[in-house]
Amino acid sequence: MKTAQVIYEDGSHKWYAIVRDASRPNYLIDTNEYLVVAGDDAILLDPGGSEVFPAVFSALSSAFDPRRVSKLFASHQDPDIISSLSMWLEFNPEIKCYLSWLWASFVPHFGGDADTFVSIPDGGMDIIVGSQRLQAIPAHYLHSSGNFNLYDPKAKILFSGDIGAALLPPGEDGLFVENFDRHIRHAEGFHRRWMGSERAKRDWCARVSQLDIEMMCPQHGAIYRGDDVRRFIDWFAQLEVGVLKS
Amino acid sequence: MKQGHGAGGELRRIVRINEEIKSVVATAFKINLMAMNAIFLAKRAGQNALGFGVLSNELRRFATDLQQQMTVLREMTYGSVTTVTGMLKQTQLNRVLERARAEAVGEGRKLIDDFLRDHAEAMLRHEERIVALNRRLTQMIADTAQLVELGSVLARSAKIEAAYGGAFSSSLMQVSSDFEQTIGEIQRSLENLTKHQFQEATA
Repeated sequence: MKTAQVIYEDGSHKWYAIVRDASRPNYLIDTNEYLVVAGDDAILLDPGGSEVFPAVFSALSSAFDPRRVSKLFASHQDPDIISSLSMWLEFNPEIKCYLSWLWASFVPHFGGDADTFVSIPDGGMDIIVGSQRLQAIPAHYLHSSGNFNLYDPKAKILFSGDIGAALLPPGEDGLFVENFDRHIRHAEGFHRRWMGSERAKRDWCARVSQLDIEMMCPQHGAIYRGDDVRRFIDWFAQLEVGVLKS
Repeated sequence: MKQGHGAGGELRRIVRINEEIKSVVATAFKINLMAMNAIFLAKRAGQNALGFGVLSNELRRFATDLQQQMTVLREMTYGSVTTVTGMLKQTQLNRVLERARAEAVGEGRKLIDDFLRDHAEAMLRHEERIVALNRRLTQMIADTAQLVELGSVLARSAKIEAAYGGAFSSSLMQVSSDFEQTIGEIQRSLENLTKHQFQEATA
């Protein structure tokens, strides 16, 4: 089963990382889900695939009342990101799903109707959770053509979706990056192949460099903290992407 | 399961049970700390509070047993989430197949009928699993209620012992009243738990 670990806390404003499912079969890629709580309200970021729904739901329930999760945020349209949508809607038909306008008529194939989705325009938007104002930050073509990160200016946390993702081998799957040089080897092949646009990459690096980020949380792998955030942006900026072989 | 109650409703019921379990776990943790303080207080009170000290030890054991019982209950509810998710998928698949059946003709319709028959059997197996899990959950809640009743008796006995506490009598009385009140909170949570569980058992 996954566990829900607090990675940020300031009163009733909290970030949980829902991570590391030991019982997950090997044919499924491991995913990180994040829950942002602000008072009585909460948003679940990249809620995951339908196969991991029991693990995510149980881990989330151990830390927080899932009836208070009013919003889902989908960084893009992939099945490991949002195919559990129909399960969440069975549990709470009122739940809203924020995602790029580009996918608003594709993702309903996983579930939901016109009332379920809140389309995010290409330039991004603010998403209010309780008393907190979160920002959907454009990250198009990294890797999906309609792609967003989510920034919490108070917690100084950037949820970066697939950017920063690493496919970690057993034994090197800690929650946080502890040794950047060692860690980044597990991210390199993924970024070269999945990230398709040099221009989009440069735009993203310039955009997030303007943000004050203490933690960068990807959907796969470990969380970057402190100086490792800057190290990652610099590393990514010089990486050649959109190539078949690493 | 009651018609129309649905797997989504079952999931919401599991969440209500889990929230009560979390509340009992937090209270059991509180009792554990209270019992530790009570043991120290009894030691300070000396000879006059020997009986109170023994009861405080028993209350601490009670809190530990309760925490363990709640861990088992929580694991059972997590197991239920997996089973209910299977039901959710089955329900969604059935909806799609029913729609396909309405439009299909001839051989295609016969094939879908066969599919639906298989899925009805699979659904039945899921429901049987849920019924079995619920039966175990009901039994566990009944066992927990008995344990909490024992805790309640211990708290009442501590109150009686507090009367013999000499100079410490009023402090010991206060502590035993706190025990009684806190165990009362657990009893209320268990009543809610039983109510949620009973809603399902009769559904």
